[in-house]
Amino acid sequence: MINLRDKGAEFWERSNRPVRVLTVFAIMAVVAALPYAGNTFLQTPVAAFDAVLVYPMGMFILMALGLNVVVGKSGMLDLGYVAFFAVGAYTMAILGTRTGLNTWEIMPIGIAAAMFAGVLLAIPTLRLRGDYLAIVTLGFGEIVRVSALNSEAIGGALGIAGVPFPPGLGFEYQLLDQKYFFWTILVMILLVIWVIRRLTVRRPGRAWESIRQDEDAAELMGVSTYKYKIWAFVFGAAIGGGAGVFYASRSMVIAPDNFTLNTSILILACVVFGGMGNIWGVIVGAAILGYLPDRFRFLSDARLLLFGLVLVVFMNLRPEGILPRKKREKAIVKKGSGA
Amino acid sequence: MNKKIISGFAIAASAALTFGVVASTPASAKVKEITIAYQGPITGDSAQTGADEVNAAKYALKKYNDSNPAVKINLVIIDDQGAGSVALTVAPGAAANKKILAIVGPAFSGATISSLPYYKAARLPMISPSATNVTLTDKKSVNYGYPVFHRVPSTDAFQGPSLAKWAVQNQKSPKVYIVDDKTPYATGLAAYTKKALAAGVWVGSDSTPDDTKDFAATISKVKSTGTNVVIYTGYYSQAAVLINQLRADGYKGDFASGDGTLGSGFLEGAGKNAEGVLLVAPTVPLSVGNPAMEADYVKVMGAASGEYTTETISIVNIYIAAVKSGVTTRSGMLNFINGYKGETVAGTKLSFDRNGDNNGAAAITGFIVKGGKIVPIEVVK
Amino acid sequence: MFDALIDQFWSLTFSGIALGFIYVLIAMGYTMVYGVLRMINFANSEIFMVGAFATVMVSKYVFELSNDAIPPSNVKLFLVILCCIVASMLASALLAFLVELVAYRHLRNRTTNRIAPLISAIGIGIVISEIVRILTGARTQFSPNIVPKKTLATFQGAEIRLDSTLTIVAGLILFIILDRFIKYSRLGKGIRAVSMDEDSAKLMGVNLNRVISLTFILGGLMTGAAGFFYVNVYENVKFNMGFSLGLAAFTAAVIGGIGNIRGAFFGGISLGLVEIYASAVIGTQWKPVTVFIILILILLFKPNGIFGEAVQRTRV
Repeated sequence: MINLRDKGAEFWERSNRPVRVLTVFAIMAVVAALPYAGNTFLQTPVAAFDAVLVYPMGMFILMALGLNVVVGKSGMLDLGYVAFFAVGAYTMAILGTRTGLNTWEIMPIGIAAAMFAGVLLAIPTLRLRGDYLAIVTLGFGEIVRVSALNSEAIGGALGIAGVPFPPGLGFEYQLLDQKYFFWTILVMILLVIWVIRRLTVRRPGRAWESIRQDEDAAELMGVSTYKYKIWAFVFGAAIGGGAGVFYASRSMVIAPDNFTLNTSILILACVVFGGMGNIWGVIVGAAILGYLPDRFRFLSDARLLLFGLVLVVFMNLRPEGILPRKKREKAIVKKGSGA
Repeated sequence: MNKKIISGFAIAASAALTFGVVASTPASAKVKEITIAYQGPITGDSAQTGADEVNAAKYALKKYNDSNPAVKINLVIIDDQGAGSVALTVAPGAAANKKILAIVGPAFSGATISSLPYYKAARLPMISPSATNVTLTDKKSVNYGYPVFHRVPSTDAFQGPSLAKWAVQNQKSPKVYIVDDKTPYATGLAAYTKKALAAGVWVGSDSTPDDTKDFAATISKVKSTGTNVVIYTGYYSQAAVLINQLRADGYKGDFASGDGTLGSGFLEGAGKNAEGVLLVAPTVPLSVGNPAMEADYVKVMGAASGEYTTETISIVNIYIAAVKSGVTTRSGMLNFINGYKGETVAGTKLSFDRNGDNNGAAAITGFIVKGGKIVPIEVVK
Repeated sequence: MFDALIDQFWSLTFSGIALGFIYVLIAMGYTMVYGVLRMINFANSEIFMVGAFATVMVSKYVFELSNDAIPPSNVKLFLVILCCIVASMLASALLAFLVELVAYRHLRNRTTNRIAPLISAIGIGIVISEIVRILTGARTQFSPNIVPKKTLATFQGAEIRLDSTLTIVAGLILFIILDRFIKYSRLGKGIRAVSMDEDSAKLMGVNLNRVISLTFILGGLMTGAAGFFYVNVYENVKFNMGFSLGLAAFTAAVIGGIGNIRGAFFGGISLGLVEIYASAVIGTQWKPVTVFIILILILLFKPNGIFGEAVQRTRV
């Protein structure tokens, strides 16, 4: 089978600096121009293409990147990721409607709140392994959603409406033309990629990789696995929280039914579908899975059916995802040859 | 071999995509056409409400288009799964699609609230057959839908007091237990019903999310409070499950519910347990309000009408009337709707006030299930 | 707050146990597969849903029972129950077998990645429930009354009904048969061998694919039986009914120690009781919160569930 990831990596290795810079700019230009591609074959029936680019696609990419740190990089199965998204969104909605703070001022508060929720969940539960962790995180997601649903003080089933738009930064965000939202989210994605890449090549990244491969061995080698697991979890939560703040501000309305278990599962599917552990794979996976259900709208009744089929067929064809992570052996060989 | 599979898949996928584009953007035909959209749940948990309403809209449009009018009307179906989060992706599309002149729906209040900012900005008129949440037409609320939002049924603020009155009619000293299903519709209706009950009548409440299957806990509370009237403010399928379990556990008192329960689905589910159940609704089902049309509906659509059929057909009729009068723009449509004075297909008055509420909808009808049929008894005020 | 619990304690307890047995049987589908493959079979909730639909179809179209008709009695009742339960078990077992073939087998041989099969299972779950929705409509389908809901006896003011009693008795019998089968039969030993150590089992001549198929089929049979009992007590089916019940059953399996069938038995019954007591005391809307908080507390003190997964003797 064609290994796109290796082809890409090969190209990258062979190219010199100007070519690399040029490639990056070319790709960036193409991506940034996407909101103008609305009238091509990419057009989504019914839903507006520029809105689909923001949610689900952009948001899914952001969340999938965050979840990838937890699931892909450190190997912990998290089925309640949407909880952090919800915490961020509710922070934005509550503060935005009750105080004079604007979106950018609430952003750090929302991220902090999500991180706090992450610590709260991580401390008692990260000692659990594998599938026990999965059910506990799943439960946590449901606890957050049901609590929001049952609390009339934060809107109950109706949720919170009238969340303020983000203030413009030299331009004004518009309802019917969402390209500024898309570009903002693009910047957020690039920022997250940059931070993750910094972390991956440094100590935390190596610790996460060792935990993923063999937790016991990592512990024996002196890696403080518990600490780094909490770090991964909280880092993932921060990204989810940030995405939630922006989502609430852009949507203007949030309700508990925006944060169901299905979203958690879908984000996990994005990560695995694209290629766990590989940032580029995760981005491609999230973009495709965010896009397809809206692209299939012309099928009306059968669109979710087709979506399920795509999941099954592709997982069977490419179990490691569309752009799988680097093979461990390869990494070792390269290190050896470099020394 | 794998390469073959992949390329085959790619070809199939690209073919599907191209086909989809072609199918979704029909070439402009010679006959002048007007497009309206239906927005509601077509997939997802509440898909039945959407299916019922879409069929009603299709029925009304088929009747019109088959009469060979000068301007035909197309229907675009917008699936919001009844959820605010999905409405957020489809609403900008509908708002930006200049071909769509008006919307039938959204079906659910939550999805309406999420869609409203876009439709307001695009001044896309909408008339909902089933969104009854009070805040949508409340001037003081952030969800206020002026000027684009209109609806045919009256709000929960009217239905609640009528339900409270109608439910206790058989009991000399009523003890009412209220159960809602945690949807925006049910919690709103439950709150207004509770508020309207006389002091000391209300003995307790429970919320059973709509995936609840075992009502044993609720039933135990009904029994231990000595309740003789149970009011359920949710939808028909859960209402049937609840009353079946109540009766199987020996509950002998009354059972009452609102418009979410009105319809043949409840009778089918509850069977003989439905006998004597007290219902109120700001509408009448097509089979009750206009039996002749119901018979025709069954003939044309091949199945009985469902929930909110009367409202949906009436809404489409407003749009048809607008098109007949020569409306071709959204603002023209909006003016037409605001000036409209007519009747629903069930014969009640239909016109909209400044906030978008139906002037003629305040009449709430009380029903009793008798002999396996929902029989309208009187207007409950 | 506690009035209803104290007042209706026994009635709540019987309902809780009957519900618990439904969880136990669905949990078998999760726990058996987990025991052998170390993998959550996310499609099990849809396997349950199809089993429940099978009962409705058979009672409605083969025996032409209707909602209003007087339930059958004596020999006919026995025949209807037998046919329905067999149809449900077979439908679910067949589906479980197919799910393994389509969603897992190919993947199992190709990757050690444990999350890929999970996504594949989620995909096939979506496919199954969407097919059912397109075939039967999104409306809740009501089932005919199969077993009359008549009161057999009264205990401390609580009515003991025939339908719940049938669930409890038949559920217990099925569980004991499964437990004995795994413990003593040749095939059961094969399952346990694979569960303990896949490679050694293979070396000892166990046909791996056959054992895994058998595990799915056994899990499917139990899950299908749960479908029958569910319809029998609650009398309704819907294309998305599997989700919440499957989640509860999976939680039950984890409480007891996933992979351990006696653990799942204990977990299922206790979850049924906890759900009902909690709903009675603090309101049905808080049920999921209570359940998951209890789950987290249990796992804090018993990280492998109450019975643990390491109980090799009873482990699948």
